Amino acid sequence: MKLQEMGDITEAPLTVRQYFSNIWEAISSTYKGMKITLKYVYGVKEVTIQYPEEKEELPLNSRSRLFNDVENCISCMQCSTACPVSCIYISAVKRDKDAPKLKTTSGSPVRLDLTMYTIDEALCCFCGLCTTVCPTECLTHTRDYEFSQYVLDGMKYDYLSPEIRAWRTRLVKK
Amino acid sequence: MQEKHRKEEKLKTELLTISMGPQHPATHGVLRVEIKTDSEIVTQAIPHIGYLHRCMEKHSENLDYRGIIPFTDRLDYLAAMNMELTYVMAVEKMLKTEVPVRAEYIRVIVGELQRIASHLLFFGTYAIDLGAFSPFLYVFQDREFILRIFEELSGARLLYNYIWIGGVWNDITDDQIKRIGTFCDTLDESLKKYHTLVGENKIFISRTAHVGIMNKDMAMDFGATGPILRAAGVNWDLRKNRPYSIYPKMAFDIPVGTGEKGTVGDCWDRYFVRVREMHESIKIIKQCLAGIEAGPIMGKVPKIIKVPKGEIYMRTECARGELGYHLVSDGGKKPYRLKVKSSCFTHVSMLPAVAPGLMIADLVATIGSIDIVLGEIDR
Repeated sequence: MKLQEMGDITEAPLTVRQYFSNIWEAISSTYKGMKITLKYVYGVKEVTIQYPEEKEELPLNSRSRLFNDVENCISCMQCSTACPVSCIYISAVKRDKDAPKLKTTSGSPVRLDLTMYTIDEALCCFCGLCTTVCPTECLTHTRDYEFSQYVLDGMKYDYLSPEIRAWRTRLVKK
Repeated sequence: MQEKHRKEEKLKTELLTISMGPQHPATHGVLRVEIKTDSEIVTQAIPHIGYLHRCMEKHSENLDYRGIIPFTDRLDYLAAMNMELTYVMAVEKMLKTEVPVRAEYIRVIVGELQRIASHLLFFGTYAIDLGAFSPFLYVFQDREFILRIFEELSGARLLYNYIWIGGVWNDITDDQIKRIGTFCDTLDESLKKYHTLVGENKIFISRTAHVGIMNKDMAMDFGATGPILRAAGVNWDLRKNRPYSIYPKMAFDIPVGTGEKGTVGDCWDRYFVRVREMHESIKIIKQCLAGIEAGPIMGKVPKIIKVPKGEIYMRTECARGELGYHLVSDGGKKPYRLKVKSSCFTHVSMLPAVAPGLMIADLVATIGSIDIVLGEIDR
């Protein structure tokens, strides 16, 4: 294919009048644009947040790091069933008959003992489906968003371990 | 004799093959365009896609109907609300669920806000493609407001999982309605300002007018939809022509390309159609805010969703064009097949037809003007 055939746009030859009108249009339209941008130099409030020094508070129902309050968990497995990426690993054993009876804060009896409750938050897609199905509302999304790690395994949170359970005082919404 | 031979060897010309992308900033994602150039003129352009293929369609066959919604978000991550809406409407239609009126209003509000957010991003990145940086920062301030509202509503900034089967997740508050109302007024003003800054600029017009023309016949032949089709002068909008949700109640116009600065269907037309679409979206949002009714936001949906046997093709007008879901169900908890019809895929396939004869810089302008999102193309 010849190049001339490809584009069928043929520009009209440039007249002297057009030449000068083009220059005028370029200057005037750029001037109009510059007037708009110059307004932003002074008198416009700063919108940039200086992140590490200033931290923005996230809205109340924003979905960030997951937290499970294991004392209220009844091991119903609904969260791991609902999870579209299967990143919640739960295992539980039946509670002894002789053991003292436990109840969650909402009043439902705890019939199973959790032996593992781990969420791989590197896989988590933060869709929030697990928190909506939770019957005792022990699994919640917190507003904590600073949890980068050096190793991938660091993203696996074992909610039965004491150091992660210590987050409770800091994270759980009241 | 030998001298003559040497001379001919010197004169030998060849087309140069260049790979544009997948890390090229002008291709808006991981699109690779293999271009053959004659000096600076493109003679052939072949788009290579698939760098962002995530098996979404196959994967959704192993998920329950609620679990697919987060995956539909990730198709077109710049207009996730529209992606959810279409999928959810398809499932609802098969389940014959009635959606409360308030939920329908909220859906249209967030859908149109999302359209504005998507077009604002197009506006900013297109200006960057053509060498203007500050408009990008201005439109991001407005986009930031929309994302903030979405974050308050759904809890996430980009991938919402907000529109659920049967309704929406959270209710909208009166305070948010008021804030969206004032935002619409200010945006209407500032959009005009941005258009003077970018669209009326002589350099911008010279770069975009008469460039990358996709005329009516070509757009129809390829099956283009959305702003590309409308810029080519075809008055076709699914919100008007095949109305769904509460769009029949709304009064709005469909902007059509007129070739104001150049030819019908050139880059400038595609840009201007989107700018005018944002004004129309503001009109729709204002009507919704005035007409929203009190009531429930969730319809009656069984706890375990089992869609009756059958199939459906649901399509809506997304920010980038027609989005369709072909859902086949065998009566189980999971869909038998979910096929996504993406508009960007069609638009990318138009590149080989448009590109020959363009300069490389004009090809950048053309790719920018068709506003592709690779997540939707590769799925």
